[in-house]
Amino acid sequence: MSDPEASRPFIEAANPTHPSLLDPHHEMDTLFGVINIPNVVWIDESGTIVRPAEPGWPPGDYYPDFLRAFLDERDAAAEAKAAEIAATDPELAAKIRGGQDRDSYADAIRDWVEHGADSRFVMSPDEVVAGSQDRPLDKSAGAAHFELANHLWNAGEREAAFAHFREAHRLQPENWTYKRQAWSLVGNEAAGGGELGRFNQGPLPGQEDDWPFEGDFPSEAGSTPAGDYYPKTLEV
Amino acid sequence: MKRPRCAKLVPMLVETLTVDAAAFHEGTGWEIKPEGACKGDVCVPLPDGYDLSSTAERLGMAVVHDEAAGLYAVGPETFNGRALASAEAPELVLDDLDGNTFRLSSLRGKKVVLVAWAPY
Repeated sequence: MSDPEASRPFIEAANPTHPSLLDPHHEMDTLFGVINIPNVVWIDESGTIVRPAEPGWPPGDYYPDFLRAFLDERDAAAEAKAAEIAATDPELAAKIRGGQDRDSYADAIRDWVEHGADSRFVMSPDEVVAGSQDRPLDKSAGAAHFELANHLWNAGEREAAFAHFREAHRLQPENWTYKRQAWSLVGNEAAGGGELGRFNQGPLPGQEDDWPFEGDFPSEAGSTPAGDYYPKTLEV
Repeated sequence: MKRPRCAKLVPMLVETLTVDAAAFHEGTGWEIKPEGACKGDVCVPLPDGYDLSSTAERLGMAVVHDEAAGLYAVGPETFNGRALASAEAPELVLDDLDGNTFRLSSLRGKKVVLVAWAPY
């Protein structure tokens, strides 16, 4: 949700010393290739990107207990599934195990802070460009449809907005921010808003026929292995 | 609907394809110079000079038309097949909660960890 009031409580509670900025037009996507959140980009003192957009987090001891417990449980279930299928479907098992490591990502940043250009995590300019998201012409069209969708949604043109969202999703099926934006707008509305409405990113029970999109968060995220959702890009 | 204030609007929404070079720069981040369309350290030659349609085509920007809405949306460049045209960080200009505009380039001289998150 791009409404500043959606992020205000989080920013005010964290009260960070760094700037916290609003990105209602997904410029982090068009300029840096951010297609899921959280994503992190490293930029050195001269303004050169040394790591392109990739999944990254603070370590788990920063999380509230309920979230830590939820993630631990989910990771354990995923590992059990990977172990179970490792012999019969090694490719899927590798994808399940192929997610970015939450707990060590910040150590990679610390290494860069300490060693600068000599850090083993620093990539060359060519590697940075090659490591950014691929972008054929279709993805540019997807971005154009996404912008039209948001504009029309804000203008109250719901059906026209849905058509453009669906095109954006079709042209950039791997773009989770495009999907979650659309899902959360409609899900929030169906849930009647409120503090938690926007976390409802799928149809409510019994309202499946009214859902204007092909997918929804619970079903798609649940069936996407970590290696596809948050692919591992570094090993600490 | 009025768009929030921000220096760059990517993808760019326009009502007509007769957009001048200054507006194209503002909307896409690509500046028209004698050597071509340029962003950071990258320039793409424009042998026929600038107009929106041919420049968008050279840069691999999709142009999507919504006739009913009376709008064209110009998507980001794809000429090199990657999200980044170069490793030079593009300028990012966004507002904070209080409406103060912040420029990524104001952090030159420091290491920057740029984190994208959402309060879904």
